[in-house]
Amino acid sequence: MTTAGVAAEHLEHALHDDRPFIRKYVFSTDHKIIGIQFLFLSLFFLLVGGVLAMVIRWQLGFPGKAMPLPGAWPSTMAPDGVVLPEFYTALVTMHGTFMVFFAIMPLLVGVFANYLIPLKIGAPDMAFPRLNMWSFWLMIPAGALMVAGFFVEGGAASSGWTGYAPLSANPEYTGATYGQQLWCLSLIVFALSSLLGSVNYITTVVNLRAPGMTWFRLPLSIWALFITAILALLAVPILAGALIMLLFDVVLHTNFFLPAGGGQPLMWQHLFWFFGHPEVYILILPAMGIASDLIANGSRKPIFGYHSMVYAICGIAFLGWVVWGHHMFQSGMNPRLGTTFMVSTMFIAVPSAIKVFNWMGTMWRGNIHFTTPMLNGIAFVAMFTIGGLSGIFMAATPADMYIHDTYYIVAHIHYVLFGGSLFAIFGGIYFWFPKMFGKMMSERLGKIHFALTFVAYNLTFFPMHILGIGGHMRRIYDPSQYEFLRPLQPMNEFISLSAFALFISQLPFIWNFFHSLFWGKKADINPWHDNGLEWTAPSPPPHGNFETTPTVYHGPYEFSRPDMEQDYLPQNQPLPAPQPVAH
Amino acid sequence: MATAEHKHPNYIAIWIYLAVLTGVELVVALLHFLPRQMLIGALIFLAIWKALLVALYFMHLRFEPKRLVVMVLAPLPLAVILVLFVMTEFGK
Amino acid sequence: MSHAATHTIEHAEEGLGVYTQKLGMWVFLCSEVMFFTALIGSYIILRWGSAESWPVPAETLNIPVTALNTFILICSSVSMVKAYAAAVHDDQRGLKRWLLTTVLGGATFVGVQAYEYIHLIGKGFLPSSGLFGSTFYTMTGFHGFHVTCGVISMAYCTLRAFRGKYAGGNFHGIETVGLYWHFVDLVWIILFTIVYLF
Repeated sequence: MTTAGVAAEHLEHALHDDRPFIRKYVFSTDHKIIGIQFLFLSLFFLLVGGVLAMVIRWQLGFPGKAMPLPGAWPSTMAPDGVVLPEFYTALVTMHGTFMVFFAIMPLLVGVFANYLIPLKIGAPDMAFPRLNMWSFWLMIPAGALMVAGFFVEGGAASSGWTGYAPLSANPEYTGATYGQQLWCLSLIVFALSSLLGSVNYITTVVNLRAPGMTWFRLPLSIWALFITAILALLAVPILAGALIMLLFDVVLHTNFFLPAGGGQPLMWQHLFWFFGHPEVYILILPAMGIASDLIANGSRKPIFGYHSMVYAICGIAFLGWVVWGHHMFQSGMNPRLGTTFMVSTMFIAVPSAIKVFNWMGTMWRGNIHFTTPMLNGIAFVAMFTIGGLSGIFMAATPADMYIHDTYYIVAHIHYVLFGGSLFAIFGGIYFWFPKMFGKMMSERLGKIHFALTFVAYNLTFFPMHILGIGGHMRRIYDPSQYEFLRPLQPMNEFISLSAFALFISQLPFIWNFFHSLFWGKKADINPWHDNGLEWTAPSPPPHGNFETTPTVYHGPYEFSRPDMEQDYLPQNQPLPAPQPVAH
Repeated sequence: MATAEHKHPNYIAIWIYLAVLTGVELVVALLHFLPRQMLIGALIFLAIWKALLVALYFMHLRFEPKRLVVMVLAPLPLAVILVLFVMTEFGK
Repeated sequence: MSHAATHTIEHAEEGLGVYTQKLGMWVFLCSEVMFFTALIGSYIILRWGSAESWPVPAETLNIPVTALNTFILICSSVSMVKAYAAAVHDDQRGLKRWLLTTVLGGATFVGVQAYEYIHLIGKGFLPSSGLFGSTFYTMTGFHGFHVTCGVISMAYCTLRAFRGKYAGGNFHGIETVGLYWHFVDLVWIILFTIVYLF
């Protein structure tokens, strides 16, 4: 049967979907709709986090000067447009919290795990669709509670996204009594949502793979999302437990983290980072998986070293549990532990380097198509490498003592989180948008968006390394207060201007996204000539995904086979019969 | 133990077993005839013994595929690593 | 969880060799292990690192009543496996009887715990009463919350059993809820030992 014939038949099937609107698009149990709901929600929070970053950058670049529209800012936050110190600390806290928990993590795990897992493994839906729906609808109250922090007495939580005790545990220290409580509550609800998601992803990948989809035929994106789900499953409850204790310290006056009552503030740091380090890999592993898919597709070559890629993902995930102390070298922690953590952290460079070299090996002498997803994939590899290299400096205790809590750390986290994760996310959105909505995004606008973002991003974050080496502390309100930082102020101004340019560079993306949603070119069933099972279902796939359960014959990276005219071979088509060798 | 009957071990026997172990725990804890260190060791041993009985027979892990057992045990090393590492922090 | 719709596909690749609901419950329980690790681990760490001597639990807590309560919870675990065995053998009368027993056992446990809390608070032992108060109320409180959730889902299963939803050897829902119930029992076995008896 022709592809068009299959598509038409599917379309008819889709039209017979008689669920009411509210079950179809609002309280939907369909993993694709839930993925798209997560997409809109997390892009909204990405915007919120971005706006907060702009205010932070204004204050750092032009301390004490009035922001544009001085009258529009509430007097509790920025009277006459000048940011108050207590508002600044709330901004820093909420920017980190929104970006980590409500933008990047749901973008990677909520959007791509939900959308891709069942489609790529050939399943009709998740194992527990109703729990999946709850996982999304819990994110709404979680987000609302977090945003509400800005509007309560005392302002939003101000103890940093890491919420270090005792600063966070005693409301008198920050003044944000209700803000801190809302922060805890919101993240507890978030943890519940994450738990429901993880249970679903793991069960689905283990039990619902289509016939022939063996473990080593899974696309690397699915491997990464699967391992990520395991990390989230086991790490997020530790955060939930710690948050509950912190909340009790604030509300019920327990003494877990308050030294006055015999508690241990350092225990918060241990619990937080025992969650926090796996969390770092939750934020990068799916991006690695997505980038692997994008790069193999854009290079028209099988991924280089598929098995070593899988083992590297597993290795990173395992090592991620025994390195948390490298966030705490300066905390007064037991020095013997420090050495252990230093060594284990350096080991992570090995699987990470395996991945980077494999991506380069994939691109090497490939028939590279510089599509927007591919460009973002390449940017991911480059930026992740820079971020990874700066990470090695911090892993070494002696070097870390010098750069700890400076802008060097800020540069590092933005190189891996923005340069790494976010480029892969943009690539993933450009790549799967046609499947999600049945429309193509504009390649020209996509390339403009990519180029502007790439340049402005590097201009913003690269100088931060230099600031950090110069001793510029993280989270300070007014760098011009310190004489030794005054010579660096022009660089701060430059960073701020670049950050504003970076923000404006996102406009082509927003325009492209919404314009293509309504007026984009209609997408084919397989516009990127990829091999994944999702490209054998119509764009967008109907409820239930596949007319019949597909059978899988080979791995997902059969590109440019020498014995075939077509340079790709979808996973549901058998390999060509071996040709007799001519003498 | 009732391993011969694979699907359903003798639940009542395990119930009595658990009740007896709880009684032993109470005797050990309340009569104070052991030195403190040994008391803690004995109580931990008894608690793990009871927990194993529940996991193996009531949750029938004994009769599940090996792969599931491995998955179920996976979080335990992580829990031990966390608690032991942080305990070294506050050693007396 | 027992009522979540489950998709099955013909001839799927073999996973871990158990049906999807049971696998999902075990995955969830792995997460619960880590949650209780955070709470119980903090107790162990705080007690280990506590500068002052830790109060003797028996001087504040009522050990005999709690020992009895532990026994009740263990009994409800036994009635749960009996219900499961009845469901496997399609013994509908036995299933209903054992499920009801389990719900009653669980509810009694929660009731006794509530009584214990009221009594302790009346004596002036509060969450703010030092590290012992903090850890005691957090750990037992969250365990009690888990038991309450278990009682509610068990009551729901009992209702379904009376409507004949588990007839014909349809035991998956019962087994899945049972796993959760035994896990809660298991956590209590640990808690009872390290909080009340040490």
